[in-house]
Amino acid sequence: MAPLRTKKSTSLIARVFLVCVGILVCLPLIGAAEFSLREGGRTKHSFHAYRWIFEQEDFSKTLLTTLQISLVAVFVTFFLMVPTVAWLHIQGKRYLRFVEVLTVLPLIIPVVALATGAALALPAWIQSSKYILSMMYVVLAMPFTFRALDIGMRGRQLDILVAAARSLGAKWWSIIFMIITPIILKSIFASIFLTVALSLGEFTFAQLLHWSTFPTWVAVAAQGNILGATALSVSALLSAWLLLFSFTFFDRKKQNEAK
Amino acid sequence: MTSNALKISGLTRRFGSTVALDDFNLEVGIGELVALLGPSGCGKTTALRIIAGLEKEDAGRVYLGDVDITMRPANKRNMGMVFQSYSLFPNLTVEENVAFGLQMRKVNKSQRVNRAHELLELVGLNSQSKRFPHQLSGGQQQRVALARALAYEPEVLLLDEPLSALDAQVRANLREEIRRLQLALGTTTLFVTHDQEEAMSISDRVGVMNHGKLEQIADPNTLYNQPATAFVAGFVGVMNRIPTKSQNGYVNIFGKDYEAQFIGSVSEDVIALVRPEKISVHASTVNSNAKLLMKSFLGSSTQLTCQLSDGLVIHALSDSQECNNLELGSLITLQYNSKKALVGSV
Repeated sequence: MAPLRTKKSTSLIARVFLVCVGILVCLPLIGAAEFSLREGGRTKHSFHAYRWIFEQEDFSKTLLTTLQISLVAVFVTFFLMVPTVAWLHIQGKRYLRFVEVLTVLPLIIPVVALATGAALALPAWIQSSKYILSMMYVVLAMPFTFRALDIGMRGRQLDILVAAARSLGAKWWSIIFMIITPIILKSIFASIFLTVALSLGEFTFAQLLHWSTFPTWVAVAAQGNILGATALSVSALLSAWLLLFSFTFFDRKKQNEAK
Repeated sequence: MTSNALKISGLTRRFGSTVALDDFNLEVGIGELVALLGPSGCGKTTALRIIAGLEKEDAGRVYLGDVDITMRPANKRNMGMVFQSYSLFPNLTVEENVAFGLQMRKVNKSQRVNRAHELLELVGLNSQSKRFPHQLSGGQQQRVALARALAYEPEVLLLDEPLSALDAQVRANLREEIRRLQLALGTTTLFVTHDQEEAMSISDRVGVMNHGKLEQIADPNTLYNQPATAFVAGFVGVMNRIPTKSQNGYVNIFGKDYEAQFIGSVSEDVIALVRPEKISVHASTVNSNAKLLMKSFLGSSTQLTCQLSDGLVIHALSDSQECNNLELGSLITLQYNSKKALVGSV
């Protein structure tokens, strides 16, 4: 009987902890949402601030620019990071720890130094393109995307699966798309989410390299309308959550199908 | 023209200062099943991986028939391979796994599904075709892996210790199934194992490897009865090593002289290599030369562990009924029953 009671009490503690975390996360969001719905006082509520967002001339333009930048960053991350991390797990295990340390560098090097380096070192054609930000976001997201993919590939015996696929006649791209990608789909979704979230919220790089993106527009727009700025923040947070839940839902669906 | 399906010539592979393969040569005939047997680290898996194209050699050539495929990448060698670890793709069903090789060869869907079912029928798993690998037992997974490796009719089937992760009963069944399939399909097969029972029971020929070299390759019977080197004699089956002296081409075993059949160099101090089944054991109080230490019942036969008067421990194999009356600790007489004796250097 004793172990049963222990299990029950552990479960109760876990639930209480979960509720506390839920309150901690949701309360500010609910407060911000309520504040963003106010219209001139505490009693009257409307979607006035949200309507204001759509009325702004630069809103859709900067959002579209940021989404394009994110999309390119996601593609570059996928095509650069998945084969690289897979290779490290298959043939380059001795370099894994070294690369892991390398990927932390974007967290250590100040963003100003990275931006200046990009302005000095990168060729002119990419400097004149907004997609320079995509490259920078790939680098900035690397500490997170590398770890997400690394964890996904650990314990999967990728070397054996790849050897089997090669002996069966598969080319490298078939192996990446038909074997590795489906196996680590959850990790790929996590790295996509992290890259998109970073692209949607990154301000310093865009500002330093003089590109007008959604976060730089928000910074300017928020100075004139505090309710509108709050509505923007709430929308951005809810969009990120929606993205995260849709990835989780899709992954669960895939797992259930597999069962 | 050659009658060999596979020929390996002068294969050498080093890992730092360790020599995994040292001028390794092998020829496998069409439709033949050859096992590479040896202790861990003898280079047998390295040889297999080089043949499959999964590992690069430092020197040597690999021929498929008459064609030199040394530089050909793994995916273009048309070889099937079954691995020691379960290597089924976890995201694909059993049917999709078996059809994968055909999909890579651009075979249309209906044909590859039909072929997958044909192969699954052969390994008795057609009813499991829609399942995923994690829903199968270890033995079933290896049977699917075997079906997958055979589905596109490879020129050579490579088996890298495919049974070592399975329990004894499944192992015995699956090795017979491998042989049955290999004979039915006539697929040239190279089978790597460290288990001599496995190698001896299903192979046409067995190659014994040691330190990256092939010590001897022969049919199981020759390998057991006429080992070419002292290592093969000691590695294949149980062998008693009895220190003795050679005089005029004869050696003394248990007090009697036998004609010596030398393995390697001839010298005065030698080791007589005696199989347990070549020793007969009799209860006796007079002229006894040993004491019975232990009896291990093996079914129709019993293994007897005896100790000579000089302290040397000898293993003998006797009919269970014949040795029933022997008491532990009793005095016995050991006798070597052969005209010739294999003799190695000390």
